[in-house]
Amino acid sequence: MSEEFIKSLDPRVSRMQMPADINEQPLQKEELDQLVTYQVFMQKKEGKNFEHAGIVHAPTQELALLYAKEQYSRRFTCSGMAVAETSAVLASPVTDGGLSVYELLEGPAPETDGPAEAYEVFHLMKRGKQHEHAGSVEAATVEEAFLKAKESLTPEKPVLNIWLVRRSDLLTIDEEDKDIWQTLPEKGYRDAVAYKASDRLKEFKEKN
Amino acid sequence: MNKALKELLYKMADDQLVLGHRNSEWTGVGPLLEEDIAFSSMAQDKVGQSYQLYQMLHQLGEQEPDTVAFMRNAGQFHNSQFVELPVGEYDFSLIRHFLFDHAEFLRFGMLSECSHEPLAQLARKIRGELKYHVMHANTLIKQLGTATEESVSRLQQSLEYALPYALGIFEKSPYEDELIQQGIFAGEAELQKRWAEQISKALQPTALQLPSMNSLQPITGGRRGQHTQHLQPLLDEMAEVFKIDPAADW
Repeated sequence: MSEEFIKSLDPRVSRMQMPADINEQPLQKEELDQLVTYQVFMQKKEGKNFEHAGIVHAPTQELALLYAKEQYSRRFTCSGMAVAETSAVLASPVTDGGLSVYELLEGPAPETDGPAEAYEVFHLMKRGKQHEHAGSVEAATVEEAFLKAKESLTPEKPVLNIWLVRRSDLLTIDEEDKDIWQTLPEKGYRDAVAYKASDRLKEFKEKN
Repeated sequence: MNKALKELLYKMADDQLVLGHRNSEWTGVGPLLEEDIAFSSMAQDKVGQSYQLYQMLHQLGEQEPDTVAFMRNAGQFHNSQFVELPVGEYDFSLIRHFLFDHAEFLRFGMLSECSHEPLAQLARKIRGELKYHVMHANTLIKQLGTATEESVSRLQQSLEYALPYALGIFEKSPYEDELIQQGIFAGEAELQKRWAEQISKALQPTALQLPSMNSLQPITGGRRGQHTQHLQPLLDEMAEVFKIDPAADW
């Protein structure tokens, strides 16, 4: 292995100890070196429904929730957040062309006598939009939960995709910590609004 | 009253500005993408908070925030030496974040009752972001302070190195009695007491051992303009553009 590392004027780059000759030692990734992903649901304002915001990687669910806050709410107002490991999100098939995915679900659910659990139900109403919280159901199995959602939550417009998440798989900010959403409203220093990238691009194109 | 209040505002603002700048050195090279974003965002919060404090000083007759931030030399800064130390490895940066942000959260908590109303208002406004900083620090310290032999021993080493500097945060102001009597701030001694309790509580679920504070000699001087060799280069870098062209725009 080469002992030569890239030396940069930027100490942060030097610290990374990257091989000086990148061809000599191709960067190899170990298998399974990725952290798991978590799905983030966010409430923009008190009283609004939670909506899917995106994904974060994290070593634990607790950290996923903290990372989600900075990832998705640092420039916008927010009043609530929840995360679930991606594998805990139970997705229905996807439909298109005006067909509601609920029409594909046919009951009745097989009889079960296990204990009921609470599921949160998220609907995708339009491609390119986010899944939005539609309500919750109690059911003993996932299959039953989908059918119960069909009975109680079917909106007039077609639902293209349904996500179910067991409430016990969701981690949210505790009630007593809700004051973390109070921040300085003047966040101008976070935005690069004064930097007009399009002007720079135009200038560059004209020159070259 | 003005002198005492200004001294308090300057040391707080300088702490926030210098640490905000330091922590932003992790931008782009944080240990994982989401941590990088969170740490950078908290660094920005600190710079934003320092701006609000400099603004408050400006209203009390001091110069513009930019002038105050960019045109002073190290000897005119009132930050604790703790915040100017280089970022080091992530274990040190995390421990500093943990020790400093607990003190900061408690300080602003005490200031939400401050008799200088603009400061009380600011303290209430930023309570949320400060609380998040503490939650972030506690969660990571708990995680890494119980994870592997390496993570525990690195954090332990950094903790022992950092503590005497952290105690320098509470270096007393020459106006301590005045601040207390006028209901501006309940004082560094009181803050340190509350801080020590919180730190010890937060470390309990970890494998980290908190050294006995009484046996430590606090590293002070920062509040009086005595700094390590690390501060001036940081200030030079921060003010580089401003000194070439004070009216520079994007």
